[in-house]
Amino acid sequence: MGDVVLRMEHITRDFPGVRALDDVTLEARAGEVLILAGENGAGKSTLMKVLSGVWPASSFSGRILIRGEERRFASTHDAEAAGVAIIHQELNLIQDMSVGENIFLDRYFMRSFGIIDWDRVHMEAAKILERLRIGGIGTRDLVRTLSVGKQQMVEIAKALSLSASILVLDEPTSALTDREADDLFRILRALREQGVCMIYISHKLDEFERIGDRVQVLRDGKAVGDAEALSSVSLDRIIARMVNRDIREKYPKEPFAPGEVTLEVRNFEVDHPLLRNVKKVSGVSFDARKGEILGIAGLMGAGRTELVTGLFGGLPGAARGDVRIDGKPVAIRSPEDAIAAGMALVTEDRKLLGLILDFSIRTNITLSSLKAVSNALGVIDPMKDRGMAERFVTELGVRTPSVEAAANSLSGGNQQKVVIAKWLATESKILILDEPTRGVDVGAKVEIYRLMNDLVRRGVTVIMISSELPEIMGMSDRILVMCEGRLVAELKTAGATKEDVMDYATGNRTQEGFR
Amino acid sequence: MKSFFRTHATLTALVVLTAALSFLSEAFFTPRNLSNITLQVTIIGIIAVGMTLVILLGGIDLSVGSIVGLASIVVTLFMQSGWNVWLAILATILTVGVGIGVWNGVWIAHYRIPAFIITLGMMTIARGAALVLSDGSSIPVTDPVFPLLGGEYIAPASSAVILGLALALFLFATLRTASRQRSCGVSVGARDIALRASFGVAILALAAYVFIGYRGIPYPVAFLIALILAGAFMLSNTRLGRRIYATGGNREAARLSGINVFRVELTVYVIVTTLAAVSGILLTSRLNGANPNLGNMFELDAIASVIIGGTSPMGGVGTIGGTVVGSVLIGVMNNGMSLLGVSSFYQLIIKGFIIIVAVWFDVMNKRRKA
Ligand SMILES: Nc1ncnc2c1ncn2[C@@H]1O[C@H](COP(=O)(O)OP(=O)(O)OP(=O)(O)O)[C@@H](O)[C@H]1O
Ligand SMILES: [Mg+2]
Repeated sequence: MGDVVLRMEHITRDFPGVRALDDVTLEARAGEVLILAGENGAGKSTLMKVLSGVWPASSFSGRILIRGEERRFASTHDAEAAGVAIIHQELNLIQDMSVGENIFLDRYFMRSFGIIDWDRVHMEAAKILERLRIGGIGTRDLVRTLSVGKQQMVEIAKALSLSASILVLDEPTSALTDREADDLFRILRALREQGVCMIYISHKLDEFERIGDRVQVLRDGKAVGDAEALSSVSLDRIIARMVNRDIREKYPKEPFAPGEVTLEVRNFEVDHPLLRNVKKVSGVSFDARKGEILGIAGLMGAGRTELVTGLFGGLPGAARGDVRIDGKPVAIRSPEDAIAAGMALVTEDRKLLGLILDFSIRTNITLSSLKAVSNALGVIDPMKDRGMAERFVTELGVRTPSVEAAANSLSGGNQQKVVIAKWLATESKILILDEPTRGVDVGAKVEIYRLMNDLVRRGVTVIMISSELPEIMGMSDRILVMCEGRLVAELKTAGATKEDVMDYATGNRTQEGFR
Repeated sequence: MKSFFRTHATLTALVVLTAALSFLSEAFFTPRNLSNITLQVTIIGIIAVGMTLVILLGGIDLSVGSIVGLASIVVTLFMQSGWNVWLAILATILTVGVGIGVWNGVWIAHYRIPAFIITLGMMTIARGAALVLSDGSSIPVTDPVFPLLGGEYIAPASSAVILGLALALFLFATLRTASRQRSCGVSVGARDIALRASFGVAILALAAYVFIGYRGIPYPVAFLIALILAGAFMLSNTRLGRRIYATGGNREAARLSGINVFRVELTVYVIVTTLAAVSGILLTSRLNGANPNLGNMFELDAIASVIIGGTSPMGGVGTIGGTVVGSVLIGVMNNGMSLLGVSSFYQLIIKGFIIIVAVWFDVMNKRRKA
């Protein structure tokens, strides 16, 4: 491990009503991956925004030293010039530009007379993608047409194109498939060889040991102890430091006796949004029961999100099939219909699909339950409105000074809790969760699992899509596996192995009875 | 809070401007002049209330000015053909207001054609229709009742009673909200309540000075005030209001939250054209005659009021209160410049700069927050 290249001293950053960072000091070295761990809202992203110039030097107190020299950044531009690149927790690509344009945004290669050399831009972009061994992305593809996972890879390519000496990755793998994550780790290891200093934020504990050298824990905006080598500290110790209490079971699964069938889906199909005669989902049939958690496993892009969004009426005109709820056929043409039929869908992408970012926590939570907080004339009762929001904020432990705080002032994990709260408030009998714990900290994950247990006990049918195998294996009673838009297997969790699920998900095997 | 602050900045500008004009021109701060300003503001103000909703959705409606002209012609023609005044008004509101609103709304909300294009088209169509129907010339109004709508005043004595009742109601509501909030554990500073109360009292005192001092409350102004109260209540206290903000803030998320965004958008486009038609009818009544060119460029003043009032052109953020301040600011500015003898040519230039400054202010404000 090399010299200390980065030192952040006594960093304090206040927001209205919250001290996000409180006298944090941190050191990172050349050729290492420093893991930054901590609960949702601990201040990880804020610390990295301070480092990368998102928050200008005038907005916080403390010093940043890069190779012993104090630097004051007024913008991300300054930070990039000093060799600091950051991959943000939320995607920051321009959706209607091509991959190549995004990678070299504002730093295009020029011919004389100020004309952009597009061939060169795309060539260099292709080189970077190749170095990352990312297949299936053309540099001229529009970002909008790529999956979230692919978009994340473009983000990474963009940061790498800056040839930064300090690279910050804020939850980079939250939307990646295992294979994509493997690729990323391979790249990070190569960068480590080249002496790049990396700071890596994640809520996936298994990644700590796979990629990290040292770990620094933050709690309530303060650094908990100094960074320690991962080889000398156990995961349990790290967790204990993060949450300040013991977490005994990571997957608190309770045994349930499955009840009657509540949701029957037959021959469901979803059209491809752009290509004619291509289906994103085809011939999917399954049942979901009261009193069970039904997991849907599969690789990123297998059509799971399209399946549930289609069922929920979110893709009008593009989805069709026979759906019955409690034995009665239902025609769901819009999310409005779905909610009326007793369905709720916690969407995958909280920033784009889950939240109204300008709204307060309160108005976000009650958005799908406005009827319950208003009278027949449509007048909202402010007390009911607030009461409902406060109940769920407490129940889910959303960290915020008040329910009136804007959703975009929350940390990523707490935003996720707000989206979940919105759907819990509808008191639906079928709750579909699409990647419910993405970006959620260990402690809060367990809280969400407990909540799922509670719901199932109360007779709710819970359907959970997850790309994290341990989560699927740990929490579901039954697992459906999807591969390339089709259902390829249905497994009882008891008796199935991770390898089985992976085998089906990657298309190596198809269970009998499924085409 | 954010939007309150921006309203505040415009409000400060308004107070400063009023003080300066009172100092510069003796004719400015008189009940008669101020009452006239309210009348002038009203015609645009009615449209601006609807435009606020449209811009909250992230949309725009350029057709409102032409609708004023078309409504003016249509209502007079109906009356000429022997219809009763109220029937003529109702028919105009339904055809020109609701009808065109539905047409605009379906294109915009269902077929997802940009509002800019659809309403730009309607702007020409409606103006053309007004010219065709009137053969390009003005039409006099003969009905004796019709001119009263836009030209009559609520008698000063009754106006005084109304203002008194409004004061009582306002104080009662302020105290009740404060006590209800406190009982819920929300800390409301006494200063906050005092500030809000004194602000309201000041406004009502000014209204009393103006309206009791000069002929009473004009009918159109009374209508606008009722409209503002209803609109502000709708936005902050009803499902529809919440849905408008949500749809403007993030249409896709709103849709997936179970909001029928088509219905919300359609409703809003119908509201704005209906209000434009009402505004056209009131203006015709006040002028006691119809003219196909009435309302020319009104869309620009309405949009300017909304934007100066702090509603984000991107949608999702803004208030009707802000719009009111914005339109009064424009009204006071126009009036003041005329009193000071600034030519109407220069007035246009100055107004343009003020719009740009207001939006610049808005953008800077956002950047500082982000
Ligand atoms: N723009 C902002 N305005 C107000 N408060 C903010 C803002 N950004 C962050 N905060 C607050 O600062 C605290 C730390 O947030 P931060 O995003 O750094 O958390 P985090 O550790 O990255 O959490 P997560 O794991 O959920 O991403 C939180 O309480 C959050 O609400
Ligand atoms: Mg974060």
